[in-house]
Amino acid sequence: MIVGEQKPFEEIWGMVKDHKQLTVFGCNTCVAVCQQGGNKEAEILASLLRMRATQEGLEIEIKNGGIERQCEHPFFESAKDLLDQSEAVLSMACGIGVQFIAAKYMSTPVYPALNTTFLGDVQTDWNFTEKCQACGDCVLGTTGGICPVSRCCKRLFNGPCGGSSKGKCEISKELDCAWQLVVDRLEALGKLDDYEKLAPVKDWSKDRAGGPRSFKLEGF
Amino acid sequence: MVGIDPARLEFFNLSAAQGPRWAEICTEFTRKISDMGPSPIWFALQKRKESAKNEKQAA
Repeated sequence: MIVGEQKPFEEIWGMVKDHKQLTVFGCNTCVAVCQQGGNKEAEILASLLRMRATQEGLEIEIKNGGIERQCEHPFFESAKDLLDQSEAVLSMACGIGVQFIAAKYMSTPVYPALNTTFLGDVQTDWNFTEKCQACGDCVLGTTGGICPVSRCCKRLFNGPCGGSSKGKCEISKELDCAWQLVVDRLEALGKLDDYEKLAPVKDWSKDRAGGPRSFKLEGF
Repeated sequence: MVGIDPARLEFFNLSAAQGPRWAEICTEFTRKISDMGPSPIWFALQKRKESAKNEKQAA
């Protein structure tokens, strides 16, 4: 799931205050789960912006709306009129949604209300942790389900570094050493022999390092 | 961030069966807010109404 965090209010206000009309537009999938950019959050943010505008004596017509996903065309049908008539859009979606709207509405300024941070899981309703970096060449089968790319601060592929201490990473006592987790897991699975095998040099061209990626299904 | 005193917002927890407690909360909080006076939003809205009225008169 994509996780993001709402930008500080002052930063958002700075982006939008010069417009005469604004639509605060929510996305009800990933960013709604982390309670930063869902349709409900869009309504709240729109209300805060209206209060601020009123106090500064600025006449800004602020509407709010939202759709299920801002990354697919069909979902935009229901909001077509709203967006067609917007002078500016404050998108609550992740960076993908913001760009999708910007590409659909080339002459409408689109602003991001969120900082998109990582791909992660939902440990609990309030706790989200990074688990995947979309490196394009998954090795989770050999590491017992612990990702060395996203969870090892040095992205090591062959065991912990000298900084691993008492199961924690040298960067922070709160961060588990990913390779300690790998060893523990492989031990539990009875697969410690896999740990002894040297992982080959990774093909980073499949990662973002190889340029922006795309994927096309055959036969369309 | 929107200039409203945090004391103007309060969360109370009670059950639907606590009628008298609900009445008590409402009375108390209303008194507290009246004592605090109008919020900055109210003043801003008044100002907006005034200027709209003046513009109309001028026109």
